[in-house]
Amino acid sequence: MRRLSIRALAAPGILAAIIVLAAIAAPLLPLTDPVRQDVANRLTGPSFTHWLGQDEYGRDVLSRIVWGARVSLSVAFAAAAMAAAGGTLLGILGGYFRGVVELVTVRVAEVVLCFPPLLLALLVVTLMGPGAGTLVFSLAILFAPGFARVAYAETLSARSLDYVTAQEALGARTRRILARTLLPNIAPPLLVQFSLTVASAMVLESGLSFLGLGVVPPSPSWGLMIRGARASMEQAPLLLFWPCLALTGTVLVLNLLCDRLRDLLDPRGKAAGRPGFLRRLVALPAAPVGALPAAPGLLTVEGLTLEIPSRAGQVQVVRDVGFSLAPGETLAIVGESGSGKTLTGLAVMGLLPSAVKPVAGRILFTGRDGQVRDLLRMPETDMRALRGRDLAMIFQDPSSSLNPLLRIGAQVGESLRAHGVTQGVKARVVALLRQVGLPDPERAADAYPHEVSGGQRQRVMIAAAIANHPRLLLADEPTTALDVTVQAQILGLLAELRRAEGAMGMVFVTHNLAVVSDIADRVLVMYAGEVVEEAPVTDIFAAPRHPYTAALIASMPEGEAERLSAIPGAVPQPWAMPTGCRFAPRCVMAAEACRTAAPALVEIASGRHSRCLRWEEMA
Amino acid sequence: MLAFAARRLLVSLGLVWVVASLVFLVIHLIPGDPAELLLSQGGIAPDPAAVEELRERLGLNLPLWTQYVTYMTGLLRGDFGLSLQDEHPIGEEIALRLPRTLELVGAAGVISLIVGVPLGVAAALRAGGTLDRVLSACAGLALSIPVFVVGTLAVLVLAQELRLVSAGGYVPFARDPGRHLALLLMPACTIVVGLGAVVFRVMRSSVLEVLERDHVRAAQARGAAPGAIIRRHVVRNALTPVVTVVALHLGSLLGGTVLVEFVFNWPGLSGYLVRSVEARDYPEVMGIVLVISSLFVLLNFLVDLLYAVIDPRVRHG
Repeated sequence: MRRLSIRALAAPGILAAIIVLAAIAAPLLPLTDPVRQDVANRLTGPSFTHWLGQDEYGRDVLSRIVWGARVSLSVAFAAAAMAAAGGTLLGILGGYFRGVVELVTVRVAEVVLCFPPLLLALLVVTLMGPGAGTLVFSLAILFAPGFARVAYAETLSARSLDYVTAQEALGARTRRILARTLLPNIAPPLLVQFSLTVASAMVLESGLSFLGLGVVPPSPSWGLMIRGARASMEQAPLLLFWPCLALTGTVLVLNLLCDRLRDLLDPRGKAAGRPGFLRRLVALPAAPVGALPAAPGLLTVEGLTLEIPSRAGQVQVVRDVGFSLAPGETLAIVGESGSGKTLTGLAVMGLLPSAVKPVAGRILFTGRDGQVRDLLRMPETDMRALRGRDLAMIFQDPSSSLNPLLRIGAQVGESLRAHGVTQGVKARVVALLRQVGLPDPERAADAYPHEVSGGQRQRVMIAAAIANHPRLLLADEPTTALDVTVQAQILGLLAELRRAEGAMGMVFVTHNLAVVSDIADRVLVMYAGEVVEEAPVTDIFAAPRHPYTAALIASMPEGEAERLSAIPGAVPQPWAMPTGCRFAPRCVMAAEACRTAAPALVEIASGRHSRCLRWEEMA
Repeated sequence: MLAFAARRLLVSLGLVWVVASLVFLVIHLIPGDPAELLLSQGGIAPDPAAVEELRERLGLNLPLWTQYVTYMTGLLRGDFGLSLQDEHPIGEEIALRLPRTLELVGAAGVISLIVGVPLGVAAALRAGGTLDRVLSACAGLALSIPVFVVGTLAVLVLAQELRLVSAGGYVPFARDPGRHLALLLMPACTIVVGLGAVVFRVMRSSVLEVLERDHVRAAQARGAAPGAIIRRHVVRNALTPVVTVVALHLGSLLGGTVLVEFVFNWPGLSGYLVRSVEARDYPEVMGIVLVISSLFVLLNFLVDLLYAVIDPRVRHG
């Protein structure tokens, strides 16, 4: 990515260098004197001695363009440099010392931003009279606040970095801290600001010169040339064209340079591709051999494998995951962050981020009509008909999962309207909100999401999910973002819903084993994209058959372990998976055999699976 | 909502007062005597007696605070003073020209939104595709052409060579509405080239950002159709930054129409300002700068109100 951006920088960089070099070398180039008049040959077209022709006073246009670049660029650079020096100093001082210093530096600079820029420049011109010096001065005043803002913001964020605080605590002198740690940090955004300023300064300079209030004739300036050529537009339209081209071209090159520079310094802005809900293609085109089984229960996931692109090519973030779910049953998928449990849930819903691609497996789902479908191979339009009706999902963060600009009732009602309900939506919404235990549901329906508490927002999300009595409810860490007491209430609500909706299956994704015992019938433990153990909920706590499960139980605060112990190390990154058992580097039981060959998931009893070579030793 | 509006209005009025005082101080405290500056055009040192007479006439010999009070009380009555050049009341001239500039800026703003918002949404939804790349390249080019170049080239090509439109000018709406709007279109569209590109860019990146938000995925999980998701959950949320950017640009345009009005002979406020600057008529410059800055403040106030309409969190915050 980075190398690509540097290459993209080359074209505008070289062009900008050529323009700047031409401007610097203007006196050395074999050009006619840009101010020597030749009135006899005024407005003559291009000739061998005057490649771009002669202007209204018979002056050589090419020479004036090159010399004009010199004037325009030197005014722009001088103004940008002055603005950068002054503005940065104000910004750093304001950001570093805060308080009164901030008031007199940054806030005062911001007053300048209250005036339209051209207006301010004109005000300065009124006071000081036109000329290049005035131009540089007024442009510098105009652009300094921009630098002050950037420097101020960056200083504030750099200031709160740990190492700056540490240096202060060690008693380093303020000036040294500023010079050593802040300047390198704020240099990149200031560089972008600088190239942006040079381009804007050129535009303003030429504009003022065009009005006759900038560079004073007979000095060549592109703005002045356009002003002059306008008068003789009827006789010599080409005269107008050349300075316009030079000005636009230069500004374009500078802007391009600036854009590319910004991409290089901050690659986050890169486009990600078309959003998922606009894709019409099937995720996996080729149907697997063999017909779909007649009745596989409610949901059967087989051999699900998901890939993402990375620096080291395609890597598997979920590998060969399989499980099944009967109607009315609740399965908990447990694992640390990075175990692939959330992606597995999103794959069932067909809501995978666009970077994640399913490459193998199938997801068999029995719809309300009794028909079995492979969700991994369904077109988006068919999938949409299932989502929110047969399949529903609750997300981790209820605050960001509700649109802040829409009333709660409208968002719950969306579930109904999306599936053809048009009559009595309002009453249904209120009933749903009452069912999920929202106090005063009529008022809540008219409220905006920010007007209710976090726990109530999650109740709203649940109401929207169950609006059409789904066959399968996926809950992705529905309690993680909530307070402990609210967590218990939401879990209670979900348990109640299970009783009310007898045939509804539920997949409950969580990293918290403690909540699992209350809600799940069976548990699937995932680690680094693989299933490592599957068992009924009572067995898993009483007799775990994988060291990872045992370690998770031992790290539960509410667990029965005598000592609370954290699992050492972290989940390996998908592009740096160990060769043998993926858990071996963190496992207390790991033996030599564990590090050489990857263990398979084996059935160790009816309904019990483990991916550990030494599971028998745990009995 | 009312309390919110009242609070913002008070702040805005305070700002206008600060701006007025600032403009007054800048003019009066800057080194150099306005009377001398005015009379010394052409580089010849003015006659001291004439300078003294002008100072007396302009009240420049009075103490600064007396001048300040006089000026401010004048402003409250809508009195901006008299032009130095022809003793014409400045307030009248501003009242005559301001609506024309506002009309031009308003038309440009509306057309820019009509063009920029849908194109921005379309480009964002096909990010990385051909349409997106073509539109983004066009926007990059449009942003690089200075507005007076667009105007001048438009006059050259459309009026001069193709004779499709007239090169510029102004006809009052009351006299000939059709001709008035036709003459408005060229300068307005000239501004749209740059402003529309800004709207496009902001809308595009804003939509891209909103598309990644959780509530869009949640709407998808409910089975909402793409059109409904884009309309209800993406475009509306993405509009907030566009409102800010357009308002800020319209604000700078209030002063920046100078060039467009000059190119198309549109007799707005900016042309008046250029004339005043050339003549160094400082009461005129002061009055115009003050009016435009106040409009800028007013615009920011309106944006705050608009925010409150779009985003319920602001109203209650």
